[in-house]
Amino acid sequence: MLGRLESSEGMMRDMDTKKILNKLDYYRIYMILAVIFILMCLFAPNFFNTFNIINILKGMSLNAMVAVGFTVVMICGQLDLSIGSNLTLGAMVVIGLQPTLGWFPSLIVAVLAGSLVGAINGFLVAKAKIHSFIVTLGTMTIVQGLIFLISKGSALSVNDFTLADWLEAPLFGLFPPRVIITVSIVLIFFVLVKYTKFGKGFYLVGGNKETAWLAGLNTDLYLILAFILSGTTAALGGALLAMSISSAVPTLGVSSQMVVIAATIIGGTSMAGGTGDIFRSMIAVLMLVVLFNGLMCLGAGYEVQIFASGLVLAAVVLGESYALYEQDKVKGQRPALMAELKKGAL
Amino acid sequence: MFKKSLALLMMGALSISLLSGCGGAKTPAPAETTETTAPAATTTGGDAGDNLTKSLAVDVSTLKSSDNQPLLLKTEAKEIPARPEDPKALPEEDPLHWYDLEYSGWSAEKVNIPKSPADGSIGKKVTLIVHGDHPYVTAYIKGAQQVATAYGMELNVMSPNFNVDVQNQLVDQAINAKPDMIVEIPTDAKVAVQQFRKINQAGIPLIAANTLPEDEGMKYVIGWAGPDDWGQMRMLAKTFAEKMNFEGGYTITQHAPGGSPYFSRTYGIVTELKKIAPKMKLLDAQAPGFEAEKTMQLTSDWITKFGPELKGIMAADDSAQQIGINEACKNAKREDIIRIAAGNSKVGMDAVKAGTVTAITYQSAEADGAVVLKMAADWFNGVEVEPVRYLPKHIITAADVEQYMPAQW
Amino acid sequence: MQANTENQDVRKREMGKVSSIISKLGVYVLVIALMILGTIISPKFLTTSNFMNIIQAVSLLGIVAAGVSFVTYSGNFVDMSIPCIMAFSGMIAVDTLKYGIVVSILCGLSTGLVIGIINGTVVGKLKANPIIWTLSVAFVGSGFMRWFYSGKQIYPDVNGGAAAEVFISLSRTNVFGTIPLIVIVMIIFMILGQFVMTKTKFGKQVKLVGSSYEVAKMTGINVNGVVSGAFIVTALTASIAGIFLTSLAKTGAFYNGEGYDFNAVTAIVIGGMTLTGGRGDVVGVLGGVLVIGLLSNVMTLIGINTFSQSIVKGIIFIAVVGINARSLRKLGRDDA
Repeated sequence: MLGRLESSEGMMRDMDTKKILNKLDYYRIYMILAVIFILMCLFAPNFFNTFNIINILKGMSLNAMVAVGFTVVMICGQLDLSIGSNLTLGAMVVIGLQPTLGWFPSLIVAVLAGSLVGAINGFLVAKAKIHSFIVTLGTMTIVQGLIFLISKGSALSVNDFTLADWLEAPLFGLFPPRVIITVSIVLIFFVLVKYTKFGKGFYLVGGNKETAWLAGLNTDLYLILAFILSGTTAALGGALLAMSISSAVPTLGVSSQMVVIAATIIGGTSMAGGTGDIFRSMIAVLMLVVLFNGLMCLGAGYEVQIFASGLVLAAVVLGESYALYEQDKVKGQRPALMAELKKGAL
Repeated sequence: MFKKSLALLMMGALSISLLSGCGGAKTPAPAETTETTAPAATTTGGDAGDNLTKSLAVDVSTLKSSDNQPLLLKTEAKEIPARPEDPKALPEEDPLHWYDLEYSGWSAEKVNIPKSPADGSIGKKVTLIVHGDHPYVTAYIKGAQQVATAYGMELNVMSPNFNVDVQNQLVDQAINAKPDMIVEIPTDAKVAVQQFRKINQAGIPLIAANTLPEDEGMKYVIGWAGPDDWGQMRMLAKTFAEKMNFEGGYTITQHAPGGSPYFSRTYGIVTELKKIAPKMKLLDAQAPGFEAEKTMQLTSDWITKFGPELKGIMAADDSAQQIGINEACKNAKREDIIRIAAGNSKVGMDAVKAGTVTAITYQSAEADGAVVLKMAADWFNGVEVEPVRYLPKHIITAADVEQYMPAQW
Repeated sequence: MQANTENQDVRKREMGKVSSIISKLGVYVLVIALMILGTIISPKFLTTSNFMNIIQAVSLLGIVAAGVSFVTYSGNFVDMSIPCIMAFSGMIAVDTLKYGIVVSILCGLSTGLVIGIINGTVVGKLKANPIIWTLSVAFVGSGFMRWFYSGKQIYPDVNGGAAAEVFISLSRTNVFGTIPLIVIVMIIFMILGQFVMTKTKFGKQVKLVGSSYEVAKMTGINVNGVVSGAFIVTALTASIAGIFLTSLAKTGAFYNGEGYDFNAVTAIVIGGMTLTGGRGDVVGVLGGVLVIGLLSNVMTLIGINTFSQSIVKGIIFIAVVGINARSLRKLGRDDA
């Protein structure tokens, strides 16, 4: 009678099972997206049409852009709580400077402002060795206060809608430029971080900082770069949004924070660092927008949305930890060997 | 293969949340659990009578809101001064500095406004996009729902929880659903411009509500209805000045920075007092948020810092902020401080009744919601709709506070 | 030769002295500095009433922070479900007022207890990430509260009966006629917390779990139980604070308690506790809470506006933690 676990053959089959499970885990965000999308198409009125799909893509643009840099920071095993205030900073600067500098130069300044904050974050985390939770919580408070102080609490706007209309209207009947720009940036950095030698360094730094340093990587540089990227993409996302509505409010980014954190985790990036990628973070943001959009089509109120996103997040967290829990239980055991010993003892 | 079962579990969880969403129904729960008197005269349709005649016959004047006041209040007109050359160049204490915020919409030239089909309101679909969740908004929706039911309109509510980006998405979604009318409370006056433009370009009739959009945005709406916040604050300031004998120092606990009440409830008071009581002095104005403990600490600090110089306090919120102020005054044995607030929540009215607060403004949330829906119904009926409808202003004092109980929220 | 090395040692010890003073007094250096600043700014600063105001204003935060410090001490960073627990406990307490004040408070506390047990099990046994898990609990709880109460807020005096009076007076009574009850509760919790953290077996176990999870497990400690315990303590203190807050605001609302999660962490971290766990104590947390209160008070006395105040708070926050970390490193104890 051939048991499942018999000597080396059994071990090989075990490894196959593990491989399949790992693949499933890797692709889980796509599965979740597919399930929700199909459910919504079936049940939600007005959901499945070109206009709504484009709306969904536009709706994910802001958070997907912010998630680019945030994912890299998380891959390094750090947290960045200042993404909300950075995106607001980008938005306010681009609108505020537009009358004097014009669109493109003020966009550059806005993005640079975000990079500057990111650089400060990175520097404090890497060189002063303060925990990233603390540093970014502090910079968030400071930047938000600065925004209110300078704007005196008012929103800003520009009375010229030509750029806004161009950014939001479908190009060649397909995707609005804003979506195209966002997805391009996501793809570029996805490839850079995951598939280039330099980019893979982020994973190493996140996985085990000491080992990465011993392997010759300049861990401080990686950390600082990660935070600069986070500040840059957050500001870029905010600026892009502001340009597409020709206005900016000082409380723009307050709720984006939690959504981006949740999406990045759901997308497979772990807070411990060393795993995850930018593309899946975008898919996770997309999934959340599909969920909200569909729930809205069904007529559900805000409370259901927040409830549902909490459930999804909880399910993901539970799933991840349950997997670890199971792994932990059998850690150190060697099933094939145990089975053999049992056979031998009998 | 527990991973697979995990994926199934997640699907299950999501489906459950979806179903619970379905159970939430199109209109939110508060409307369904309404305890107020049923609409006085709803034409029970069923026959194929003329929609227009029926809806014109609907009489909503007898509807009451939950505080036993009429639901549909008589709207007021407002005197509009001429616009100065450059309002921003004027000092902050000059009321005309805030011209663009206060008098938005009177001079705008309408663009591309759809013509009324004038075929009655029964069966029309109206999408209401509010600005966020708050007990005031819950009462607002309740009032709107009452009028909608009376006129046979179908009301669908969307809420972005004060998030500008989400509200933009909701606007897109609402346009996609092609309702007969969109009513929107802007999250921000400036962002509203682009939102209104989009709705206008899609050819959907639009009424703005509660928060005035920037002047530019008024071009695209059929009309606006809501409270005259600036005007209310000026009335409140008059009562304040009288009680303070036109002199003394005062402080203001401000509304959330970034919104329009932040400006109206600070500078409405400041500019008016500058005019009618120049001897009164603004000592400080801070935004402690809507938390009782923070406001309590702020007020105690003020009392410590200014001592007897502090004679009065204005609160942008008569609920949590007011509690903090009252507690601090009580603890410091400074019950002599004159207090006013922008109302009108239950907490605020209780305070007026107890005598700790001199006066609050009457802002009926349910009437606020009702007046816009009435505007929508009027438009469906082909009745002429004026561009700006202000809710009437009233200052509640201990003399008449009983008439406004029980509180709407 | 020997004399030289001896001199060297002495010098090293001297350098370490300032750092060790900072390390020992910790956050109280800042407390004293702020008090000196306050006295310079205004003659009205050094009065009993001013101090009583400050302490009363931060007592709610103090109660919450005393509990959350256990979660941080155990290496689980922070509990993001605190605002949800506070609001929910308050609303349940108001809702059950019609059964009497005792039942009402018990129901409020059990709400917190249930959430705390859930949190403790998932983070303790399943080792889920604490920040993300408690965040999802906050989402689910918030959505639930809004749905369950139809977006409204509930008032104790509407259908609470006689118990409502007691409830409302909870946050308004003064012990011995002068000291508010909230303050007494906070002081008791601080003392209890300090005692449990430093003198009991449980506290020492929490410290070990926070310092090194694996080592703690290997010594046979029931790490799951310890972590669960930390979350239960946090949830209980949060629900007590929530009941007081609801009593103060005379309103049960889903937005009560907003911001307490980050504020509690701020106080704890300023007080010298490290986020990764195993270092710090409740006395430090008290200091952190006092710093927050004093800072607010001093800045208002100076006349700094709201926005600039948050900028100052952010800078001080980073600076304090930075100096703390640096002095720890100078003393060679920066393994965190």
